[in-house]
Amino acid sequence: MNDIRFHDAASGIDLRQLPVFKPDSALWPRMVAAQQRRTRVQRWRRGSFSLAAAAAVCAAVVLLPHPLPPLQQEIAAGQRESQTLESQWLQLANSTRPGATGLARVRVIDDALQAAYDRGAQADELAPLWRQRNQALRGLIARVQDTDPNDALAVTRI
Amino acid sequence: MATDCDVHPVPRVFVYKMADGQSQHVSSGFGQTLDSVTLERARRGDMAAFAVIYERFGTACYNLALRVLGERAAAEDIVQEVFLKMFGSVRGFHGDAPFGAWLKRMTANATIDALRLHQRFRDDDVDALFESMPASGADAESRADAWSLLMRLPPRARAVVVLHEVEGYTHKEMADLFGQTESYSKSILARALKRLNDAALAPSSEEALHDE
Repeated sequence: MNDIRFHDAASGIDLRQLPVFKPDSALWPRMVAAQQRRTRVQRWRRGSFSLAAAAAVCAAVVLLPHPLPPLQQEIAAGQRESQTLESQWLQLANSTRPGATGLARVRVIDDALQAAYDRGAQADELAPLWRQRNQALRGLIARVQDTDPNDALAVTRI
Repeated sequence: MATDCDVHPVPRVFVYKMADGQSQHVSSGFGQTLDSVTLERARRGDMAAFAVIYERFGTACYNLALRVLGERAAAEDIVQEVFLKMFGSVRGFHGDAPFGAWLKRMTANATIDALRLHQRFRDDDVDALFESMPASGADAESRADAWSLLMRLPPRARAVVVLHEVEGYTHKEMADLFGQTESYSKSILARALKRLNDAALAPSSEEALHDE
């Protein structure tokens, strides 16, 4: 069948002559009221959503752990490693009695670190100092483990 | 029912003075145009502009829904649903199609959805669809009344007849709307129009008696 309309063909009914009814005159005011209600609800929802979003952002800022920048992470890792190495060194020092001079190099680095922290040095200055400190501690530990404890003094000379 | 509403003759063409100062001849119903000034105001959420749109297209929306659903309250619900939806979506109307055509599509979709919702659309069997419909032989009053004859059709057949015969939908468009094949609406339309024609042309029982 093609799309020829019924009233184009000879027939007993012309659907173009269907009556046209007017909607109830109260329909438009009802629609306006419904639209106003909907607008109010939308505003309320938007407001609630904004408040909730702001609260969520605040909570995230306060509660969530903040990922550190790479250099800061390196410093934190360096500090942890330093503690471990220092404990390891102290255990060895107690058992082998290498003497207090064994930590001279480390103390010099500690002074440099303290001075850097005191003047508010940036991470790019602090990270190398922590690396040096750990390297010095590793060297001390290695010397003590491999050789006579008194040889460790050589490593501690600046 | 709709019969207690005001009835007025269908205006075919009239001169419409648009808000931007231009006058033009426009057809009635969904064929009317909407000037760019009113459309822009509507996009900004101006209720006065929506009132103009309702005044121009509200009756067309109402009559499309009423002719398909056959119930005044249901048709008013459709108009309200369509206009509330239009209030929110008119910003997205870019004028690719005439405004009236856009609104007509929204109205047809909402009306068919309402038929589905009330399970008047459940049966896909065309034969079964017409089984419940009384055979031709209406009385003299209803025979003369296109509205009464239309209302004698099952809702789904009425939807096909109204959309195709009155609103100018093609079978392809109806296939998309109903989620069926084109053959489906063609079959329903052929059966429905035959019933309407038979009912319109059949002699009433009174006339038949008189003839005897």
